[in-house]
Amino acid sequence: MFALLRPIAWVNSMILRLGRQVAWVALGVMVLVILAQVIFRYVLNNALPWPDEAARFLMLWMTALMAPSAMRWGGFVSIEIVPQALPRVPGLLLQLCLLSGSLVVLIVAVKFGYGHTFGFGGNFNSSSLRLPLDWIGFESVRVKLRYMYGSLFLCVLLLISVTIELILRTLVRLIDADAILPDDDAPDFLPEAE
Amino acid sequence: MMLVLFLPVFLFLLLVGLPVFFALLLSPGLLLWLNGQESDIALLYRNVFNGMDSFPLMALPFFVLAGEMMNRGGITNRLVEFSQAFMGHLRGGLAHVNILSSILFAGLSGSAVADTSALGSTLIPAMEKNGYSRKFAAAITAASSVIGPIIPPSGIMIIYAYVMGESVAALFLAGIVPGILVGVGLMVVVRLMADRYDLPKAERIVAPGQTISPLEKWVSFALIRLNLAALLSAVFWGIIGALGTSFSDGGPATTWIVFSLLLLVAHVMLVALRQQVSNDFRLVCKKAVAPLQTPIIILGGILGGVFTPTEASAVAVAYAAIIAFVVLRSLRLSDLPGILTRSAMSSATVLMLVGAAVAFKTVVSLSHAPESLTEFMLSLSSNPLVLLFLINILLFVVGMFLDAGPAIIILGPILGPIFVSMGVHPVHFAIIMSVNLTVGLATPPMGLVLFVASSVSGEKVETISRAILPFLAVEVVVIFLITYIPAISMTIPRLTGFVQ
Repeated sequence: MFALLRPIAWVNSMILRLGRQVAWVALGVMVLVILAQVIFRYVLNNALPWPDEAARFLMLWMTALMAPSAMRWGGFVSIEIVPQALPRVPGLLLQLCLLSGSLVVLIVAVKFGYGHTFGFGGNFNSSSLRLPLDWIGFESVRVKLRYMYGSLFLCVLLLISVTIELILRTLVRLIDADAILPDDDAPDFLPEAE
Repeated sequence: MMLVLFLPVFLFLLLVGLPVFFALLLSPGLLLWLNGQESDIALLYRNVFNGMDSFPLMALPFFVLAGEMMNRGGITNRLVEFSQAFMGHLRGGLAHVNILSSILFAGLSGSAVADTSALGSTLIPAMEKNGYSRKFAAAITAASSVIGPIIPPSGIMIIYAYVMGESVAALFLAGIVPGILVGVGLMVVVRLMADRYDLPKAERIVAPGQTISPLEKWVSFALIRLNLAALLSAVFWGIIGALGTSFSDGGPATTWIVFSLLLLVAHVMLVALRQQVSNDFRLVCKKAVAPLQTPIIILGGILGGVFTPTEASAVAVAYAAIIAFVVLRSLRLSDLPGILTRSAMSSATVLMLVGAAVAFKTVVSLSHAPESLTEFMLSLSSNPLVLLFLINILLFVVGMFLDAGPAIIILGPILGPIFVSMGVHPVHFAIIMSVNLTVGLATPPMGLVLFVASSVSGEKVETISRAILPFLAVEVVVIFLITYIPAISMTIPRLTGFVQ
């Protein structure tokens, strides 16, 4: 069990760390894109067609890449009265059931997510987003909707990986209360929920 | 018919501790599957995506980011000093300062947790040093922090507006008076307790030897005059419009001339006022001008039709960045990744929940659950006032166990349509829900700000839970005032034309 947990925890740490780096940059760029929209409309009197969709594109990817880290560190809101009130072993067994329930939801989501991302709808072009390859002498390329749809699909895949890690962590704690678990890469600060 | 069962299943999953995000999807998904409606499960997935793919929803991460930047940029001390200059001399002065600081902080951040941790770390030790008990200091900090999500900008109102299809601007405006009312109510309780427990005045109202950088001084100089001139201008044109004189038809040149004259009047008024106060008092006020400009930019921009709420939130981020990095120089570029990461993470969990809520709402509609619930509620009483009383009790109990954001996401689509069909205005109902569930953040046993106040103060949660009861009592009174006097929340949105 422990031999399986260690590599999964390591892989999750690496992938999610990369995801967080991309996500904070995406948030920063989102702000700049919306400010550009305001400046172009009011100062330059030229309403741009793309900032709305570009900012939504970035927000979707920011959410998709950040949510798995939040789940790994217990940031998904839940009512914890029952799990906390139970003794250690029943509490961990309940935790295992809850994580298994979450895993079922995510596995079903993979099926529908694949169809959503790679199916017919994903082939359509975005209404305003395009890669400006014409700046370097090629033809500009319109962005397919699947690159937006793919954000949630990837998020589901990452959440599955995190859930499997959390299930293994719970199993290890169930078997050995004193087991030293691999580092979960949590930073000094944790997000403040509302 | 079987679909109606997804609500009890959902409740069960929630109570045993399944994360809200998964409970919102598992319960309807399970029953759709049992009902043989597999194609609707695909709809559930698509609606999670569609729920997150929203331009108006983008205001949420931006307001979180602006608040985070202001918070990390060290504006808390400035707001506390400003509040102390105005209210420190009263008996129970620092408790009043705590409440006023929360009201001012609410205009910058829409989060009760941020309010408790930022103000608590400054004010709880100061209050203890001044002779207040630690439990009292922690309790008043937690109780006043709930003003944060009521006064705009407010994260939960953005969520409610999006999930229920209401106007963010209308909800923001409707939250102003209820938020101030909660603050005033808490001040009344402090005043009553001050006599009974002989609470002290602040030792020193304005700390001597105040300093301000030249850049901040000139920024404050300009901002305060521009704001005052804009206010005078609004009053002037309002009077001219009411009189119906031909002067009101003047073009842009007339407008600018009038504004320039009023700018001069504002300057003269402020120069006259400066003779009345000490130099330190003036500097304390000047240091609060730049941070307090944030709500003016947000609300002014939205009300003036200049920005959408999303654009206003992005402008608020830019303003917060300019203040923190350039004017106050309290942040460095190396702080930026941490601030952005923290904001992105707070936002991501909420955005996922909103996506799941939109999917959940689809199944709520398919199941005709609101109709069944309406029938059930009407069987209890057909009087909307009685039902509003009952719903307030329900919301209060829910708020004890669940955070305001997820509770709004879950209950909004279920309860909103019921009360709207009974004739309650959607914006009024949104405010009842928002205020009630926000107060729940400070309600034992699971109120999140109680735990934050406990970690900031080092006092036990149980002790703070007992000390907060008088303040919670007045907040409950305010909830019922808001419920039964719609004018409290509806007057400003109506006057500004955001609600018919």
